[in-house]
Amino acid sequence: MLRNALRKDLLLNARHLWGILPWFLWVAYAMSEPDMGRITAVGAAFIGSLMAATIAAREDKLHTSATLASLPVSRRTLVEARYLVAFIVGAATYLVVVAMAGALPWSVQHAAELVELKTVLLTLTLASAAIAVMMPLVIRFGLLGVVVFLGAFQLLGVAVMVAFEFFEMRSAVGVFSAVERGIVALHRGLDQPVVILETMAVLALAMWGSFRVSVFLAARRDL
Amino acid sequence: MTPDHALELRGVRKSYKGFTLKDVSFTLPRGVIGGLIGPNGSGKTTIIKLIMNLIRREAGEIRVFGLDNRTAEVEVKSRIGFVYDVPGFWDDQTLDSQRRALGAFYPTWSDETFHRLAAEFGLPLGKKFKALSHGARTKFALAMALSHGADLLIMDEPTAGLDPIFRRDLLRRLSALLQEEGKSILFSTHITSDLERVADVITFIRAGEIVFSLTRDELLDGWAIVRGDDAVVRELDPLLVKGVKRRAYGVEALVSDGGAVRRAVGSRAVVDKVTLDDVMVLMSGEALHAA
Repeated sequence: MLRNALRKDLLLNARHLWGILPWFLWVAYAMSEPDMGRITAVGAAFIGSLMAATIAAREDKLHTSATLASLPVSRRTLVEARYLVAFIVGAATYLVVVAMAGALPWSVQHAAELVELKTVLLTLTLASAAIAVMMPLVIRFGLLGVVVFLGAFQLLGVAVMVAFEFFEMRSAVGVFSAVERGIVALHRGLDQPVVILETMAVLALAMWGSFRVSVFLAARRDL
Repeated sequence: MTPDHALELRGVRKSYKGFTLKDVSFTLPRGVIGGLIGPNGSGKTTIIKLIMNLIRREAGEIRVFGLDNRTAEVEVKSRIGFVYDVPGFWDDQTLDSQRRALGAFYPTWSDETFHRLAAEFGLPLGKKFKALSHGARTKFALAMALSHGADLLIMDEPTAGLDPIFRRDLLRRLSALLQEEGKSILFSTHITSDLERVADVITFIRAGEIVFSLTRDELLDGWAIVRGDDAVVRELDPLLVKGVKRRAYGVEALVSDGGAVRRAVGSRAVVDKVTLDDVMVLMSGEALHAA
């Protein structure tokens, strides 16, 4: 049944997933910029995962949620498929960026750098974090969940800007700097087995928690 | 609970703000067409959603072929074909790709049946769902519902938006399914003539409560409509009077025992056979015993 649910998500939402294509125009450009390879690959996988995670919101909009819930498949399996699709699309997007890094004539990136274990793991960490936060919101609130997720980031950005510009709170910008430093430090540390193990353990826990919450919300949702 | 019933609801309850479905109980025997009728907002769609477990019940029990519709959800749904009032499919996908993606969920899915029905219904399989008219969308939903050998068909307003010729054809097809394959069917509709044509059991719901669940013969042959003046209607046994409406010429009363009332009123009032339209109008109208 999981196979059918996965196939259904990919087949019937193909046009939605093709929405990632314009992002590759940016990727094509970024390949000509020195030092942009890693961040572009990580960003692409992040965006790809998020795009796939919004399938539930799209199906809400199309009123297909009731049709899906009437099929002989549990809501848990449908949720499992949603998580898997998000990872599959994220991974596929990442691989396309790697291929572009190696194949585009103007690329100054080294494809080998992008497939370093620590870069792959960093991508997995960030994409997983996004999926873990976003999926329960989308499953519970549909399109509104996407808006809340993206709106929260927008509001955070505006709040920091206001705090910095109008109240000269330099520490506000520090939040972003800290996140950036954290990501860089994590990337650096991800070639050490202990850090890898710890990171993967945290990721697994976050995904497990997110999945359980999503299944709970999906089961309780009136359609 | 008996497995002889295709469907059993016992004390089912569901509340929304401003609406409560109150302790709904009725059964649909196997091999029977059941019709759900009632005014807009009476709870017909809520009942269908509860059976399909699209919404959570607060109390009660729902069994399909003797199986709980929640604990045995996958098995139950594999035996149900469903058609909703607004068929929800993927707008930007062709009918054929939806057939491939959704048919795979049913172990008993038959592509052959689907293609035969699609040809009979004139469905353009290469077209996207959004390009279809409302009638064609319903036909597609019907073709999907009828292609996996479902033992129970559940349909919410399936004939709304269909032209009279196709409606009649659909009803003929549903009757044939019943006679040839012993399937059971539950459908809600506002088009009472459809129910009169095919339904074996009619369940009337009003303001979230089941008012009656009777066989078509019990209802159409047993019940009657009395037309006369106020005084005659006041004399009727209140237990028999199910609804009253004032008209320019007097009063119309719906009674549940036409024979008894005919004997009681004699020639002082006109006692006619009822139609489902009469039942709908009179039971949705003024309060009982209002005369």
